[in-house]
Amino acid sequence: MPSLVVRLARNDRRARIACGLRRRLGRKGRVELYFAFDDPNSAVAVIDLAIRLDDFDITLDLRPVVNRGIPDDPAVEDKRRHAIDDARRLFKRSGLTMVRTEPIRPETTAFLAEWVAATPRGAARSAFCVVALKKLWLEAGPEVDQADYARIWERNFDRPTPVPHLAAVRANEKMMKRRGPYDTPAAWVHGQWFFAHDRLSQIAERLDDLGWRKSS
Amino acid sequence: MSGRKVEYFFSFRSPYSYLSGPRAFALADSYNVEVEFRGVLPMMMRGQSVPRAKALNTLRDVDREAKRLGMPFGRIHDPLGDAAVRCLVISELARDQGREREFVLVASRMIWSEAADMATDDGLRLACEGAGLAWGDCESAIESPELMERVEANTQALADLGQWGVPVFNFNGERFWGQDRIEDLEASLKEAGLEKS
Repeated sequence: MPSLVVRLARNDRRARIACGLRRRLGRKGRVELYFAFDDPNSAVAVIDLAIRLDDFDITLDLRPVVNRGIPDDPAVEDKRRHAIDDARRLFKRSGLTMVRTEPIRPETTAFLAEWVAATPRGAARSAFCVVALKKLWLEAGPEVDQADYARIWERNFDRPTPVPHLAAVRANEKMMKRRGPYDTPAAWVHGQWFFAHDRLSQIAERLDDLGWRKSS
Repeated sequence: MSGRKVEYFFSFRSPYSYLSGPRAFALADSYNVEVEFRGVLPMMMRGQSVPRAKALNTLRDVDREAKRLGMPFGRIHDPLGDAAVRCLVISELARDQGREREFVLVASRMIWSEAADMATDDGLRLACEGAGLAWGDCESAIESPELMERVEANTQALADLGQWGVPVFNFNGERFWGQDRIEDLEASLKEAGLEKS
């Protein structure tokens, strides 16, 4: 059975045909990135990929989630704690310093996921996610004050924060599960998924391989 | 030798442990550290669940990573149960004989790329002899309660560190989880001035 899974995973023909078709129809490639504001490794992935994927003719579809992970996972608190140390080292690779030293509870930043999920995809939404994640993990003190993020939102969008959209967050969680990933940050790249913070360069290589690099 | 140590927690059922093996043991070649191998029971034998989605996606990810690292992968015999336990106790024997690097690399390669069944004597013997261990010693080791106790102590030590998955490297009070965190461990080893000149 495991050998069969590996053999089947190596057959990438469908993704290649689909990408070719998309290009002929004038459509862009696509990376769906499932992330959580309370997850420091999501911050690593979103902040990096927002820049790294500029070189590709793709849409980076940032999809915030709140509920994720292995149901009844006995190690969930250990994982949250470990993620802090791990993300600090990953940020360090990029020359960034993570200031936060304690995990954030998922419910504390759920409002951010609901705002983002309530807003149409686009450059402004992506920019907000990057700025908010930087503030949460690289700049802010221990408290998460909703008013601070509302001000960022207003500056970014030139309008007040939207009505929170819990159903849209749940839809993202459902779609993430359907795609296969069970935890964040997870990138879905034309038929393959990657733990995004672990595989930043591999995501770019996949897009290169599928022919999505912008021609100079 | 500086007397510094990297504890290396490893499971024969973890394909990421397999991927980590050559680079983990090679740390002792490049740095003034002792790499202390600590084989642990598989997650599913430690009361942790592994959802199907995780298992499937791990295999797909490891396949890509193995290709990137130039390691063979794909013909697999799942070592859950006896196979893992037998490999673990032989690892302890191999440690006593200073051959854990050889055994762990050979046995894990056979499991993850040659579909060798370590629950059978034929499979295990090939790995043992490939690592330079005498099969007679290995047969006795399989029945050794002392060696099994050492495996259980390793497993408990991993839990005591607040860690759940493998491979894990413990150095200087810092834990590094994942074959893709060896570069961060190396950064710490360099910071500690342990790089060999």
